[in-house]
Amino acid sequence: MRPDTSAIPIDPCKHCGAGAPVDVHFCPRCDRILTLGRHGDYFTFFGLRRRLRLDVKDLEQRFRALSRLFHPDYFHNATSTERLASLERASYLNDAFRTLRDPMARLEYLLKLEGFTPKESHDATTKVPQGLLEEVFELNEELEAIQDMRAEGASASEVALRLHAARQPIEANLERHEEQLDALMAAHDAHLEANEADARHEALVKLRTLLLERTYLTNLLATVRREAEAGEATAS
Amino acid sequence: MSKVVGIDLGTTNSLVAFVSGGRPAVIADESGDALLPSVVSVDGGGMVYVGREAQRRLLTDASRTVYSVKRFMGRGIEDVKDEERWFPFKVSGETGGVVRIRLGDRELTPPEISAFILRELKRRAEAFFMREGDFDPEVAAAVITVPAYFNDAQRTATRDAGRLAGLEVLRIINEPTAACLAYGLDKRREGVIAVYDLGGGTFDISILRVEEGVFQVLATNGDTHLGGDDIDRLLVEMVAGDLGLDPATQADAVQAVRKAVIQAKWDLSEFDEAHIEVPGLAGRAEPYRRRLTRGEFEALIAPVLERTLGPCRRALEDAGLHASQVDEAVLVGGSTRIPMVRREVERLFGRKPHTDLNPDEVVAIGAAVQADILVSGRREMLLLDVTPLSLGIETMGGVVSKIILRNSTIPASGSEMFTTFVDNQTAVDIHILQGEREMAPDNRSLGRFKLRGIPPMPAGLPRIQVRFQIDANGILSVSAHELRTGIVQTIEVKPSYGLTDAEVERMLIESFEHAQEDVDARMLIEARNEAETIIAATEKTLRRPDFVEIAAAQLTPGEAALIQAALADLKQSMGSPDRNVIQVKTAALNQATQHLAEVMMNWTVQAALAGRTADDVAAKGR
Repeated sequence: MRPDTSAIPIDPCKHCGAGAPVDVHFCPRCDRILTLGRHGDYFTFFGLRRRLRLDVKDLEQRFRALSRLFHPDYFHNATSTERLASLERASYLNDAFRTLRDPMARLEYLLKLEGFTPKESHDATTKVPQGLLEEVFELNEELEAIQDMRAEGASASEVALRLHAARQPIEANLERHEEQLDALMAAHDAHLEANEADARHEALVKLRTLLLERTYLTNLLATVRREAEAGEATAS
Repeated sequence: MSKVVGIDLGTTNSLVAFVSGGRPAVIADESGDALLPSVVSVDGGGMVYVGREAQRRLLTDASRTVYSVKRFMGRGIEDVKDEERWFPFKVSGETGGVVRIRLGDRELTPPEISAFILRELKRRAEAFFMREGDFDPEVAAAVITVPAYFNDAQRTATRDAGRLAGLEVLRIINEPTAACLAYGLDKRREGVIAVYDLGGGTFDISILRVEEGVFQVLATNGDTHLGGDDIDRLLVEMVAGDLGLDPATQADAVQAVRKAVIQAKWDLSEFDEAHIEVPGLAGRAEPYRRRLTRGEFEALIAPVLERTLGPCRRALEDAGLHASQVDEAVLVGGSTRIPMVRREVERLFGRKPHTDLNPDEVVAIGAAVQADILVSGRREMLLLDVTPLSLGIETMGGVVSKIILRNSTIPASGSEMFTTFVDNQTAVDIHILQGEREMAPDNRSLGRFKLRGIPPMPAGLPRIQVRFQIDANGILSVSAHELRTGIVQTIEVKPSYGLTDAEVERMLIESFEHAQEDVDARMLIEARNEAETIIAATEKTLRRPDFVEIAAAQLTPGEAALIQAALADLKQSMGSPDRNVIQVKTAALNQATQHLAEVMMNWTVQAALAGRTADDVAAKGR
């Protein structure tokens, strides 16, 4: 590990000084790779609109094509500026691909881009979303009852059965969320195509709420699973 | 332009390879040996030996000889404590710092010892280019392979070793990935490949996808502590148990046992039974002898193979694939010659693995292919590796906050915001870790650094962005700036298990001071290597179960005895400091076995014609 004293971004091409539009990867004048100084976002980097339902095959093809342009392997004989630019661009490409490839990471990223602060998704793990209050309350009661059962020496299979039953409503709810998310994403993309800014914003607001709930539900399921594993561990 | 070679810097053996006229091939030394044992030894006069000669010194001067140094690369003394009793050399170092290994009168770090091996490979390659009449024989750069599992500290140590040996390390690639290149699997339009690499000291399983020439590692898993050495250890323990040896005090005897059991292990890949024979043990008039059948051997090593299956399953899981979705399986590492290993891999992935290339050479060949691609600038093939471990930083309460997740395609980057806790604080300490565990002490510490020069502000106001960049080699660099003022912070990284730039510079200077180019010693080593090769070939033939039958049918009366005598004569001269003596005896054995070599050749051909498989009869040297 060595300290990297890479400089702060500068706009024009470092080789010839020509300006270039955001997210052009190579200088239009001298054809050198540009430093990552200015870039739009993961979508524009791939030359894509901010759609939530992407053709993953197409995304993969773009990723491979860009990898062939940026990868540091092709720059080991170049100037240090170009080597750094290649490293930064290849990193950004990999980070962007990792995010956009996964529908949920893609949605989270788009929400952040559109100004929905990520702080709220952090709250999702601690604060119960309004729409789930009743469900969470019931589950917590059930989990307490199961813990009591266990403390009173109920058999492992009995506990497992009850835990399994407790999971059912959450899993069903999660499935409903997936469907709703899917439909809303499609709607968002349609509004984007039709340039319906307000309708699109509305879809994003709903998507955020659904995403927060989904995150919460996923965490709940993980809690139940841990409970089940803890039971197995003490039983064995 | 000087040459760029591919190097497999292995735990047990190292190799160098080069692509010439479009054909990759390993570069053998003057006596035709491609494998350089990764062993370094120093004699009383400070003369350094590398390879076969150093390996020989394991028997005569075990305490001044180091092997398996790769196990110590980028590691701390606390990591290697439990291994120490198996190594005859002394390992020291402060807790939480770089390991130091006693070699003769010096204490060296693992990169310095590895540099001896790399220097020898560089010399070997340059000698080869000179023999070829190349106008530009200099080797200035290399692609070096590492286990996919290597963390930042281990990769950095490998790069430092290259620098110390006078080699620019153009790229560090994962060994299994190199194996795929060697097999030309990048030419597949699309497919999933599993690489099962059971080498001397490490086990790696990698799941790769190739699509339109882009190679992507989907997942890697493995065990930095599993390989042929473990098989050897089981065999050594078995024999040491028979003999009542104590590894701690009878280092020389343990090495003699090791040599004998390794030979038996090799034989068992070709024959159904082998004989372990350990001559010259103190306090025993007769050599130790034991028969070992393939069945007994397989029962003994089954637990070792079993331990490879867990990582295989986890890698598949990480890649989101079932074993049935794997299109090709590739075998790497000498231990995959063992028939049982081949059977297990075939059973796991449901297909016959590739075994056409020499499993010892396949990684070096792949490294050479990659070196050739880098030099030529061709773009039809691109290798995208992943980082094997998550990277994170320690936060309040010792919890790790992950910044770059494992199996992320590299290069990759991540950033984290920091602020101050007291008014006018101008520095912040940051601890970088690599691993998957929640708590900092359970992970590998990569280094600590201090952010300095933060403009004095009320607590919590500065917004310092620290950027972590993992390059295409899997090596980390760190940069930081304060967002409110745009001031770039100075960062002092103190690597936990690595060397600072200044230390590497100092070692470079020292290595020049110690470099005694002793031409006579070099030629003596070469003479011994040549002798070693013919001894091994002869002994192998003599050990064949059907040798008595062949001798009776084909050799003249007394011929076998003559060969035995010439063999014993040469073996006895091996310790001689006079290379002429060794050369004369080598020539004598060569002469004595000439007829035998012809006989064996005919025997093999006839057996093959008679419908027996080549494996049963092949007398080819390994």
